[in-house]
Amino acid sequence: MSEVVNILIASVGGQGGLTLSRVIALAAVADGKSVRTGETLGMAQRFGSVVSYVRVGKEVHAPMFGYGEAHAILGLELIEVSRNLHYLSNGASLFTADELKPPISSSLGIADNPRKADLIKEICSKARKVKGKVYVVSAKELAAKLGNPRAMNMIVLGAFNREFKILSDSAIEKAITQLLPGKKGETSIKAYYVGKSLNIVPIC
Amino acid sequence: MQKELNPLKAPAGTRIALMGNEAIARGAIESGTYVITGYPGTPSSEVLMTIHEFGKGLDLYAEWAVNERVAFEIALGAAIGGARALVTMKAPGANVASDPILSAAYSGVDGGLVLLIADDPGPITTQTEQDSRWFAELSKLPMLTPSNPQEAKDFVIVAHELSEKLKLPVILRTTTRVNHTVAPVVTGDIRPPCKYVNFVRDPPRYVRAGMAWNRERHAWLLGQLSKVEEELAGFRVNRVEGSGTRCVVAEGVGYEYVIEGLERLKLRDKVKVIKLGQIYPLPKEFLRHALNSCEKVLVVEELDPYLEGKIKELAYESGLKLKIVGKMEGLLPEVGELGVNPVVDALKRFLNLSLQVETSISPLAAPPRPPPLCPSCPHRNTYLGLIFGILKAGYRREEVPIFGDIGCYALSVNPPLNAIWTEHSMGASIGMAMGLKLSGFKGPVVATIGDSTFFHAGLPALAEAIHKRVDMLVLILDNEVVAMTGHQSTLTWGRTEMGRPTKPLKIEEIVRGMGADNVAIVNPYDIDKLVATVKEYLRKPGVNVIIARAPCALHAARLYGVQKRYTVIPEKCKECMACIKITGCPALYIGEDHKVHIMIEDCLGCGLCAKYCPFDAIVEVKSNE
Ligand code: SF4
Ligand code: SF4
Repeated sequence: MSEVVNILIASVGGQGGLTLSRVIALAAVADGKSVRTGETLGMAQRFGSVVSYVRVGKEVHAPMFGYGEAHAILGLELIEVSRNLHYLSNGASLFTADELKPPISSSLGIADNPRKADLIKEICSKARKVKGKVYVVSAKELAAKLGNPRAMNMIVLGAFNREFKILSDSAIEKAITQLLPGKKGETSIKAYYVGKSLNIVPIC
Repeated sequence: MQKELNPLKAPAGTRIALMGNEAIARGAIESGTYVITGYPGTPSSEVLMTIHEFGKGLDLYAEWAVNERVAFEIALGAAIGGARALVTMKAPGANVASDPILSAAYSGVDGGLVLLIADDPGPITTQTEQDSRWFAELSKLPMLTPSNPQEAKDFVIVAHELSEKLKLPVILRTTTRVNHTVAPVVTGDIRPPCKYVNFVRDPPRYVRAGMAWNRERHAWLLGQLSKVEEELAGFRVNRVEGSGTRCVVAEGVGYEYVIEGLERLKLRDKVKVIKLGQIYPLPKEFLRHALNSCEKVLVVEELDPYLEGKIKELAYESGLKLKIVGKMEGLLPEVGELGVNPVVDALKRFLNLSLQVETSISPLAAPPRPPPLCPSCPHRNTYLGLIFGILKAGYRREEVPIFGDIGCYALSVNPPLNAIWTEHSMGASIGMAMGLKLSGFKGPVVATIGDSTFFHAGLPALAEAIHKRVDMLVLILDNEVVAMTGHQSTLTWGRTEMGRPTKPLKIEEIVRGMGADNVAIVNPYDIDKLVATVKEYLRKPGVNVIIARAPCALHAARLYGVQKRYTVIPEKCKECMACIKITGCPALYIGEDHKVHIMIEDCLGCGLCAKYCPFDAIVEVKSNE
């Protein structure tokens, strides 16, 4: 792996993609690493497509990276994952929640309304072209069991860090506590460990 | 929150992950800025928001102002008395504030005055890709541009020092990828707030009614500008990295892309990088020296080829024989933001390296997801009420232009509402509606404007329309907050984010006081009443105002939780799609069983879809979150 790890977070506004990117950034700094994130804030936050770029390493400069340069994609929603597959680098890994939130354009019949199973199949066939690994986790269900479906972002983070091991658990705990004080934070920390303990294998 | 985690209170020498705007807020505290004001606008808003979140108990004034020009005037008033002030705005806001900004260059200041103007290459959330570096030239005010959050913080302090040295306001110009990037920042010492010192009467300086004084001050201003480079010399805002005859001049986030690109090409030590933090006036001495050993120069900058032109001019007047290339030669695009890839391509062409194309897979064709109005958003009801009212009044939709304005409600342009016809600049809806009507347009015209936008720039336009007796319907969408930029206070609040007690202004009293012919306040969730009022007001002559008042649903849910939600009984759903086609609510979707479903955690319980379901398939469920 190169010195800088490029992570792309694909989500729908309001799902917690920005919190996820911020947790990684805070944890990276707590671990003494360098980090840069590039986010879309403002109007696009709410129910629109959201992409965050996170770069962790020894020395990082640019807040973003280009197509074919993500070492990992963390997805909170399948359509948003499918929209960003061109960022996958060779041999990259994709960790995604099995969540599907069709946009209004689908509901109104202006655009396709993809089925979950088909979408996962198509994501796989694309990822295979770059020898990518795809991990699908039922993140929302697992988070809901912990009492807060919104903690699904931390389940995905756990699954990612189990494979990539770029952040220490203590740094992640510290980052979550800093960002989400109180009950929310406690659930999020639990969710992170649930994600990390999942014995997941790539579905393709 | 622990002190070392609070970005504003952490002791010097703490290394924290900060967003550029949080770093600027920290810079304001470190530099002893006492007055911090501005108007919300992406990507600048988080500077004040950070102080609101983390600055409780600090000795300072940090409040939003009604618009950018008033904000600037407040900051100026503080700075002429010797206090340090910071005023923040997005690029179009600088246009609004331009009148007092240009005059401030003549009067100057005594306390430091830093003006943050945040540009938005892309654009990501702004009406134009305005390059505000031209603003420095226009206003003749020194300008600094940082490349990352650390510099953004440090440059606030540098800007204050320079401002006080030269007695001139200083512009700190950023772009989205500096404002919204999170990066490690090391904090510095915090100095006590710099408050009022004194203010003495000095008409030649502060009164612009004397033309001889103005000429005198203009000459003074030029003299001050000539000292900028020298004054900044100790701060190292400009620097040279590496050496060679092939040189790159870069500023802002473009510099970070250049470093990343050179590393990728393994050429970091073979190319000389000239990084500029001082943009105006151009640091000519520094550049002449830095460019002296260069043969070829590539200029990397976002938006306009501003520096490229300036450097070509400098080379010409200094007799430097250089080949200078950049956007004018097509090496980099003028439209959209830069990134590592376009900069790497430009570097390859500049250095005559082979342009091997790196391939990536193509994405799947995903259905588009532009930001919609939120679930339960009162604006959805307001526009539906307006549209149904237009039809009830006997008009076809295409006969009644709906002028829009800046705010979340502009999202009503998308299907299924397809509501607004224009969205131009802050407050423009009323003036433009008036212009169309008086030019001979026969049908009714409607202007729709949000509460904060109305205070910002709608007031004079409404006064004008009422005064000139131009018939129109004005809908003021009052959701009691500046929603789009992250829920900031408006003038109708009784207490600001900092806890400052305020006098809440009443929009209905203002419009009645101005002389609007008819004024109604309607709750948009009472859609039938809204339809009836629109129908009545469209037919009545005069300037008729409907204040559609209900709190922003998202803000209310965050503050008070959600009392009820809705769900679809699948057996009752006949798949007619009325709910989706009428509301376009993002919580509704069509499942694999072809029936409509509600994403329960997204529904905020407005009940609009249930109202329009002809089969009573949508029902309320209790919720206590
Ligand atoms: S009640 Fe219906 S229209 Fe209102 S938020 Fe819920 S799903 Fe959307
Ligand atoms: S309006 Fe009612 S019946 Fe028609 S699609 Fe929606 S839920 Fe089903």
